[in-house]
Amino acid sequence: MPAGKHKSRTLRRVFVRTPGSNTVMHYRRRKPSKAECAHCKQELAGVPQVLSHKLRNMPKSSRRPERPYGGYLCSKCTRALMKEKARNLGGAEQ
Amino acid sequence: MNLFNVGRVCLKIAGRDAGRTCVIIEELDNSYVTIDGDVRRKKTNTKHLEPLAQSLDIKKGASHEDVKKAFEHLGWKTWEHQKKESAERLKKVRKMKEKKAEPKTKKALKENKASTETKAPKAEDKKAGKTAKQ
Repeated sequence: MPAGKHKSRTLRRVFVRTPGSNTVMHYRRRKPSKAECAHCKQELAGVPQVLSHKLRNMPKSSRRPERPYGGYLCSKCTRALMKEKARNLGGAEQ
Repeated sequence: MNLFNVGRVCLKIAGRDAGRTCVIIEELDNSYVTIDGDVRRKKTNTKHLEPLAQSLDIKKGASHEDVKKAFEHLGWKTWEHQKKESAERLKKVRKMKEKKAEPKTKKALKENKASTETKAPKAEDKKAGKTAKQ
């Protein structure tokens, strides 16, 4: 019987083969949810779906797109935002 | 009507330089132009640009310095290439090695020895003097 803390399905189960050729069950943490756009809720490309401690050791450029609002807004929403900004700017400077 | 003619001020919409202002320097194609200003000087698709109302008096294929002058006249910044710091770190290591090498010369060692010998007896003399006074 699994221990009481392992009965709930918060941890995922992984079967690992040991050097003595036995299969053992390991409990590992589940993947975090996919990063999504704050505006349109679309899944963000270029943001890895890994645990935070792994993300911390990665280089910053591989954690999110190298763009303003990268890793927060999707590219479409960023473009729309920038266009809005440009149109406001154009009116002010005329 | 094509808005993307030479001298047109635009805002970069996509990519690393998104949200920065630039000027069109050259029309390469129906859809491609070269830009400069507060962005890296490069070829871009006009889909990545949003035209602004302003246009500058700039010649076709103008250099970065000309663009810089025009931007400074309006009080705008331009993008300048920044050197990497890694080259400076190597120099620091070399300096440390030189400092360590200096006291290893024979003359320096002799001088060090002489200074320690002369200082030590003085300390003893002082102690002796103190005991004598008591």
